Amino acid sequence: MSGVSKLNPTAAGDNSTAAFDVERVRRDFPILSQEVYGKPLVFLDSGASAQKPRVVIDAVRECYETYYANVHRGAHYLSQRSTDAFEEARTTVAKFINAATEDEVIFTSSVTESINLVAATWGRKFLNEGDEVIVTEMEHHANIVPWQMLAQEKGIVLKIVPITDKGEFRIEDFEPLVSDRTKLVAVTECSNVLGTMVPAKQVIKLAHEKGVPVLLDGAQGIVHRGVDVQDLDVDFYAFTGHKLYGPSGVGVLYGKWDILNSMPPYQGGGDMIERVSFKGTTFKEPPHRFEAGTPPIAQVIGLGAAIKYLSELGMDRISAYEQGLVAYATERLKCIEGLKLYGEAADKAAIFSFVVDGTHPFDIAAILDRAGVAVRVGQHCAEPLMDRFGIEGTVRASFGLYNTRGDVDALVAAIEKAKGMLT
Amino acid sequence: MSLSMEKYDDFIEALEIIDDEDMRFEYIIDVGKRAKKEEFPTEWQVDGNLMHGCMSRVWIVDEPKDGRHYFRGDSDAIIVKGLVTMMTESFSGLTSEELSELNVEQVHRLNLGALTTQRQVGMLAMLEHLKKLGRKNAS
Repeated sequence: MSGVSKLNPTAAGDNSTAAFDVERVRRDFPILSQEVYGKPLVFLDSGASAQKPRVVIDAVRECYETYYANVHRGAHYLSQRSTDAFEEARTTVAKFINAATEDEVIFTSSVTESINLVAATWGRKFLNEGDEVIVTEMEHHANIVPWQMLAQEKGIVLKIVPITDKGEFRIEDFEPLVSDRTKLVAVTECSNVLGTMVPAKQVIKLAHEKGVPVLLDGAQGIVHRGVDVQDLDVDFYAFTGHKLYGPSGVGVLYGKWDILNSMPPYQGGGDMIERVSFKGTTFKEPPHRFEAGTPPIAQVIGLGAAIKYLSELGMDRISAYEQGLVAYATERLKCIEGLKLYGEAADKAAIFSFVVDGTHPFDIAAILDRAGVAVRVGQHCAEPLMDRFGIEGTVRASFGLYNTRGDVDALVAAIEKAKGMLT
Repeated sequence: MSLSMEKYDDFIEALEIIDDEDMRFEYIIDVGKRAKKEEFPTEWQVDGNLMHGCMSRVWIVDEPKDGRHYFRGDSDAIIVKGLVTMMTESFSGLTSEELSELNVEQVHRLNLGALTTQRQVGMLAMLEHLKKLGRKNAS
């Protein structure tokens, strides 16, 4: 490994002594102060994409207004400044997730691309017919379809960890699935529908005892809990910028450096090569080997700003604050007659999926919208999970660090209103 | 266009009288609830009658008679059922040629855009679906 600097492990979550001032936080998000349909906006769709604090908006604008140029190859001042800012963001990400080195951080476009990258490179190289990949019943399609494509191409087999009626992941349901044929465990860290947190550390320990690497889909998990990849000892960790209060269009794949270095390139093109000739081409080391073409420059810089913002607030404090919302929202929602909540795991993040007797989720969401309450409706890219519960879809209210108990109250009032109108 | 579309005119008039957006929403729900009382046979709720691309399921059936088209629609969501009903009741009784003359104006005149753009887009998709059925069943 060359050019690697050891990072100071100041992972997310210092600053835990001061109280979490949600009203101050809300003022950092300009979009939240507006009204929709003449009512105060209650934004409960952060699980789909979170809103952006002013520091992120400013960082992206500043990039475009003052120093934007292509990175890594320009022989001029602006290009050097852009490159510095871009690579500084990589270091910021590495520190935030406590990677051993910034060379373990690959910028992609999304979690979807991060997982596809692993499937297309590591998967194609190391998986063969009959090899097994373990996923759960509550995966997002992004962590199902890439493996199914590999199953069609190479004959690998998917093993599915069932979840309980309460939406719980139980280690005793997972353990028996790990066999001599298991070559990868690829599971969500936090269900985007149920909020269920997977006991990732236990999963990884069990898998590693049998020599099996683990990929975590951290799209939702990192938002609510932060992550320490060295403490988890996870092999791959995928997350996205836009759910983490950063810009859309940028994702991250963390991978242990030795594993990344064993993988062939993903896409071919500029910026990922050492030397190109018609006799043959040699490739750069990770992470650049996996970053062909011009990357999402301003978006990466914006993600760096988002992570600095979160680090200043402290992920531990954000998480503790959100857990208060989870308890309050659970209590309030369960008091609504006819409301069925999906996802009642003891350890869950602030994501609430539900249906209301005698109504269609679409109708509830449409009336909530008119009340200024923004939620998501449908299958949430998790059709197998909908099949598991025998439902067509749910309404999903997903909370972020800027939501309040007042938002819970507004949600509950709007659901009661919708019930009155529809039944 | 001088098409005679009595039901369509009724809907426009009703929606014009209601000046509160939330009340207009309730009106659409009421149209859906009223329509729910008339049975849409379950054997019609099949993939062949599904209109694709909706967030809820929408079925539309064309029963042509004497060269005119008579539509019936259903949805598992009540608001969408209301919107489908407004469309099927408004534009039933037209010939294929008359259907082909319908355009975005007919949807805009219902003035549902204020409710949300999404509804408006859905209505336009429904109109195109009715026209397609009209062409398909022209013979």
